[in-house]
Amino acid sequence: MTIDLENICKSYGDLKVLENFNLEIENDHSYVITGDSGKGKTTLIRILLDLEKPDSGRVHLMGDYKYPYLNAGVVFQEDRLCEDISAVQNVVIVNKKNSVKVAEEELKKLLPGDCIYKPVRELSGGMKRRVAIVRACSIPSDMLILDEPFTGLDQENKEKAIEYIRQKQGRNPLLITAHDAEGLEFCREIKL
Amino acid sequence: MGKLVRKTGIAILWLVIWQLLAVIVHNKILLAGPVETAGALARMTSEPEFWDSISQSYAHIMLGIFIGIVLGVVLSLLAHRYAIISELLSPLVTALKAIPVASFIILILIWIGSENVATVVVGLVVFPITYVGMENGFTAADDKLLEMAHVYRMPGFNQFRFIYLPSLIPSITAAISLAVPMGFKSGVAAEVIGQPLLSMGNGLYKAKIYLDTGDVFAWTFVIVLISWVTEKLILLILSLFKKGGRTK
Repeated sequence: MTIDLENICKSYGDLKVLENFNLEIENDHSYVITGDSGKGKTTLIRILLDLEKPDSGRVHLMGDYKYPYLNAGVVFQEDRLCEDISAVQNVVIVNKKNSVKVAEEELKKLLPGDCIYKPVRELSGGMKRRVAIVRACSIPSDMLILDEPFTGLDQENKEKAIEYIRQKQGRNPLLITAHDAEGLEFCREIKL
Repeated sequence: MGKLVRKTGIAILWLVIWQLLAVIVHNKILLAGPVETAGALARMTSEPEFWDSISQSYAHIMLGIFIGIVLGVVLSLLAHRYAIISELLSPLVTALKAIPVASFIILILIWIGSENVATVVVGLVVFPITYVGMENGFTAADDKLLEMAHVYRMPGFNQFRFIYLPSLIPSITAAISLAVPMGFKSGVAAEVIGQPLLSMGNGLYKAKIYLDTGDVFAWTFVIVLISWVTEKLILLILSLFKKGGRTK
């Protein structure tokens, strides 16, 4: 699968966020988009997911792609978890194919086993972030898109998370946004 | 405990003020005191007619509340799903909210007579309250979670259960605690005007004809009590439902 971002422009009022941005996203490749806050990292992801329209330019889902939309596992800038239910349930509800058993196994790879049945509101910020990462990797998807996935994670957990993501990525493309590319040397860096 | 003592004290104080006023006015027709009211209540409850009136009225009003809530919930779900239904219903709901209950009562009396006037009027009063409450619940659902659900193509039922329901439950609870007392008030008003035999409204009306203010107070007390108990019961059932939803 190839996704072609072609001459994407987006501005909010007078503020130009993206100007003639081009990127070709291919299988077997990983990309990290770096840049300070307000440089358009999240905007780029939203355009990629068709949540926002670019002012000009196009997103092509190339080849004989089977969906009219990009079927991606996503970590948003915010955790966007259902706070009243457990981590396991958060993973299970997003896709018909997700099972309690698998969700449990996957969550335990990044989180202590005793917290995965607690309501998510009782978890720390870093734990919620990891739940969001596992959820993104849990659905059958064609791409992983992670918007600052390591916010609130210490070095050790960040490394574990990267290893986990790499393993779940398979041959699919991976797109991460981050303040810097530290620990993400396997990715092609795109500076905004 | 201290709070309970204070509340009881306040209640007794008002009863004493009421009794004092009754003594000062010294006219049973203008103002019946708590003692006369209690007396009237004791006399009324010993008559089988009283219990028949309550059960008849209760059945009619509850049926109206039930129909109103079911209509409100079902139509709001449809309106949420199909924008055209929402647009179609919008002027109707606005009209139902604006029309005075007295106008409903008169119209229903003309159309279907007095037998079921309370049920229909209560339904018409409860429906828009429930419908608007549900609408508010849908609007209150977390946009960010909905966007997440969209991106993940989360199954529709799960979206409803885990994203909409948590915001619908508080809205529908608020709507019901408003709708039930409103239902009883409008139902009894319909009975007072429509005069179906053996009803709480008919009891009130008779008390008025005989200028029996003690009976009016006693009936009022009974209606308020029944409405209050019903509201609490329904909210209790809803809270059990909510707890059930919390568990795995």
